[in-house]
Amino acid sequence: MPDDANLLAALRERSPEAFRELFELYSDRLYRLALGLLRDENEAEDVVQDAFLRLFEKLDGFEGRSRLGTWLYRIVHNLSLDRLRAKRPLADLPDEDDALPLPVSFVDWSQIPEKQLTEAELARYLDQAIAALPEKLRAMFILSEVEGLPAKECAQILEISVSAAKVRLHRARLLLREQLSQAFAESTISRE
Amino acid sequence: MTCEELLQYLSDYIDNELDEDLTAEARAHLATCHNCKVVLDTTRKTIFLYRERGKRAISAERRQELFDKLQTSFLGKASE
Repeated sequence: MPDDANLLAALRERSPEAFRELFELYSDRLYRLALGLLRDENEAEDVVQDAFLRLFEKLDGFEGRSRLGTWLYRIVHNLSLDRLRAKRPLADLPDEDDALPLPVSFVDWSQIPEKQLTEAELARYLDQAIAALPEKLRAMFILSEVEGLPAKECAQILEISVSAAKVRLHRARLLLREQLSQAFAESTISRE
Repeated sequence: MTCEELLQYLSDYIDNELDEDLTAEARAHLATCHNCKVVLDTTRKTIFLYRERGKRAISAERRQELFDKLQTSFLGKASE
């Protein structure tokens, strides 16, 4: 990660190079979070655009209490959830201490996907499985596994405790595994 | 360690965040429990697949459009 202080200073001076660096660093990362939540390319691009515009508005007053990336991810997350809430209520999550989803499928497909599926089929299965996750679990999974952010930063973005972030990640992994297990099992059976 | 406990600790085990004693207990359980080993292997594979294939990007054309719009806005602020 670049030095936020230097990038922020250059952005405040409206340096075109600093803008390019900011855009190159964050546009695709923010887009992946927005697209993962909204499932719509146009809406995801709008949210990314709005997040950058908010940053431009706040540049002079940006205090740097959180990292630039953390701040941008948080804005994208909140804007995306706002858009979703405008359409329907968000799925409630179980409490942190509630029982975990128990595994149902015990088919070992860990060696299967790349060998038996086309790239397009695999992409479709991955897409369908993650779309079935509650949005708040989806956000945590994307930030942690796709973006590779540590639990502490994910927690700051989602404005939850680190332990709550870890529980969300654990639940997301188990639910996705179950979804993929069923999809791959059906796919294998249908080819036999 | 029971299957329920293994499930509870699964992510910590995958992320190498369990202490030595619990890691040893988990390993011992996994050596004898086929179902838990399958859950571990397929969870690891799930994570791997999304890490490898989850990095979608804005299409080149749309990315350029977004860049141009934002750059105009950003630089426009300089002349205000």
